[in-house]
Amino acid sequence: MRRTWVVVIGAVVLVLPFLGVDDYYLHLLIMAGLFYLLAAGMNLLLAAGQLNLGHTAFFGIGAYTSGLLAVHYGISPLWTLPTAAVFTGFIGYLLGRLTLKLRGAYFVLVTVGFAEVIRLVATNWMDLTQGPMGLAGIPPFNLGTERWTLVSKRDYYYLMVVLAGATLFLTARLLGSRVGRALAAIQSNESLAESSGISAYSHTMLAMIVSCVLAGVAGGFYAHYITFLSPELFGFQNTVTMAVMVVAGGQGMVLGPAVGSLVFTFVPELLRMAAFYRMLLYGIILLLVVMYMPRGLVYYLRVMLRGRVPGSPTSTPADRSFVSEAALGRGGAAALGMRGVTVRFGGLAAVDGLSLDLGRGEILALIGPNGAGKSTAFNVVTGFQPADAGRVEFDGADITGLPAYRIAERGLVRMFQRTSVFPEAPALDNVLTACHRLARTSLWELVFLTGAYREEERRHRERAQGMLSFVGLGGKAGEPAKNLSCGEQRLLGLAIALAPDPSVLLLDEPAAGLNAVETEQLMRLIEEIRGRGLSVLLVEHDMKLVMGMCDRVVVLNYGVKIAEGTPAEIQRHPEVIRAYLGSGEILADA
Amino acid sequence: MLAELIQHIVNGLIVGGGYALMGIGLTLIFGIMRVVNFAHGEFFMMGAFFLFTLFSLWGLNFFVASVLSVLGVGLVGAVVERLILRRLRQAPIEIPMLATVALSVIIQNAAILIWDPSPKTIKHVFSPLPLTLGPIHVVSIRIFAGLVAVALIMGSHLLIQKTRIGRAMRATFQDTDMARLAGVDVDKVYMFTFAFGAALAGASGALLGAVFWVYPAMGDLAALKSFAVVIMGGLGNFLGAIVGGLLLGVSESLGAGYISSGYKDAIGFVLIILLLLWRPQGLFGKKVLPR
Repeated sequence: MRRTWVVVIGAVVLVLPFLGVDDYYLHLLIMAGLFYLLAAGMNLLLAAGQLNLGHTAFFGIGAYTSGLLAVHYGISPLWTLPTAAVFTGFIGYLLGRLTLKLRGAYFVLVTVGFAEVIRLVATNWMDLTQGPMGLAGIPPFNLGTERWTLVSKRDYYYLMVVLAGATLFLTARLLGSRVGRALAAIQSNESLAESSGISAYSHTMLAMIVSCVLAGVAGGFYAHYITFLSPELFGFQNTVTMAVMVVAGGQGMVLGPAVGSLVFTFVPELLRMAAFYRMLLYGIILLLVVMYMPRGLVYYLRVMLRGRVPGSPTSTPADRSFVSEAALGRGGAAALGMRGVTVRFGGLAAVDGLSLDLGRGEILALIGPNGAGKSTAFNVVTGFQPADAGRVEFDGADITGLPAYRIAERGLVRMFQRTSVFPEAPALDNVLTACHRLARTSLWELVFLTGAYREEERRHRERAQGMLSFVGLGGKAGEPAKNLSCGEQRLLGLAIALAPDPSVLLLDEPAAGLNAVETEQLMRLIEEIRGRGLSVLLVEHDMKLVMGMCDRVVVLNYGVKIAEGTPAEIQRHPEVIRAYLGSGEILADA
Repeated sequence: MLAELIQHIVNGLIVGGGYALMGIGLTLIFGIMRVVNFAHGEFFMMGAFFLFTLFSLWGLNFFVASVLSVLGVGLVGAVVERLILRRLRQAPIEIPMLATVALSVIIQNAAILIWDPSPKTIKHVFSPLPLTLGPIHVVSIRIFAGLVAVALIMGSHLLIQKTRIGRAMRATFQDTDMARLAGVDVDKVYMFTFAFGAALAGASGALLGAVFWVYPAMGDLAALKSFAVVIMGGLGNFLGAIVGGLLLGVSESLGAGYISSGYKDAIGFVLIILLLLWRPQGLFGKKVLPR
């Protein structure tokens, strides 16, 4: 069914110029393709939640690079265009280095500013660009020699079909693979993504570079197609057009920018008959689209065609054999150790000289009154909070100060207390996303869909389904995480934490908000996890859980370790009892 | 030499006052509503055109016309919030942002249809002769613009600190849900904030429009500059917007005087890039309205 559609549309695209289509419409189609390259790149970065409203700067940089090289040095466009693409990608990398740490509105505004600076440079650097007069006399595109020069609209149409087809393929592969899942995860819950071993920085950088290379290609094409460039290329209006195409088409969806760029290339043309009112009407259409179709045309088309909200794949047979490879056969020293870790907030020490060891296959609880520094200790261990002093060791190596995703990559994974899932994604995709660190195939294998990649993807899907079954959510694979109950979300969080195959698991108040039955179930699961060779460090207030299943307990008060021992020892420890307001609370609960 | 330097700084401070007004409006709107207002430049432009219409075309008293212009822009802001932004409050950040982009296209093109694109001047009531203080010369309309900007900035500060609605704004800024639980009418706060931010941009446009030219696209550059101002000062940071505005005004004036007037408008963003090199994690702290 789907294949038929692809063949039909592909055939129409290929024979279109021979159906007597007017040159004017061919030109519009070429421009739609051009904007598709730009919108597709913008869409890729937006998948990670970063809106680049300076994208037209990269389009312009690509255009001027290719144009200037061809005009000043007489290099064939066949070479200037790829050079422009690479150079634009490089500029994107530089800007990314500076700005990708910024989030949300800051990133948007800085990119807007970047485009303005580039526009001013193009306007004022007369010697290079000839400023507002524009760069004229750019040679048309050729395939290496002037005999093979592209002349007619039809020639350029086919060149654009090739470029747009390649873009569609590339972005579909990226968005439809673990890269796309990682980008969506970064947008949805960056901390959880990082703690699942996904580097937010390198994935947004990848999206940034790819999107800039695409913009460079679009720019190079434009330079040799129009053969004249002016600084107006850098105008904010161009970026607005791209953003509208992405959002109106359907952001985050592969086909969104394609549909968006087709529709929003032709709409302004249709509005030509409105003469003076054209731009006013255009603005009104934009506003209506943004207000009433914020998910984009492709989304609503799908809903219309299928009569329901796009869902996820159905579940595959369960596989319960997730035995941790990482944890097997590595006896010896402690799995995790903290050595005199200190964290200060202002003058106050939230954690003060904390040392502890977590043995292999051990369940260790970290308890203490509210504000004792438990969560801070967790954050230091998992790389979310730098330590002011002390060291964290994992598997005998010093991991102090490593970024969160590196620590997760080594097999030390945490489960968050509140934000333990990616709310929008189906349960199975939640777990699949967290399998990221197990991937061994390269980006090339992923893009070209090699057998090894398919096999890996299939294995991970099975593993994810197995994890879901393990925590008892096997039947909810297709359900968006936000629709699950609180207890189910916690179990899903556990499956997400297990997916990267950790050897040490850190659980932050796993039982908070669970009822007695759910807590029982959770305790059984933790026991079983330990039974498979993992070590577990948990922060918990539920004393029944702590005293009932932990091998040892460490008690913190005001950031200082005041006691350590077996549950029985802790329950009798005078200082612990004093810390808990001198009450018999700890005994009574157990 | 020194006189020239002081002259540049004085000119920069006066323009910077206008930038600060723009910046305060933008930063309040973002801080409280989480909306990046891309129509901010159009509110600026409307302030200038309302003044042009009321004063130059209809012959109202200059000061009355100024006040009415600013109130008019505020009213437009309130309507925009009520009819458009309120409906998009649950949407992801880029949706209201794009709505304001669409709005700026609409307003700017409406302005072209109403007033035509040619630049206009407002023949204000001030003497064209400069006031002279030693070697420094400042035209009186600029002094007026500077003083009004200072008064408006101080007035905004007092409004946020001392009034009931100001307290509600600060509460909403800190925690919308808690504010709602404590009985703050958040809808009203949002509407007021947007109207107030728009009115400040309108005031800035009326002041700078009286000093320079009035034309439909005048808001584009002003909006870009106010973006620079709020990034420098920290989005949502009131004091930061003032400092950022003055800093930008002065550095532009110095840049135009000593480096190149062509690149004057890029200076704000070059400053930001330098700031980013210096503090890659972002610029100033995200804290807030003064307390």
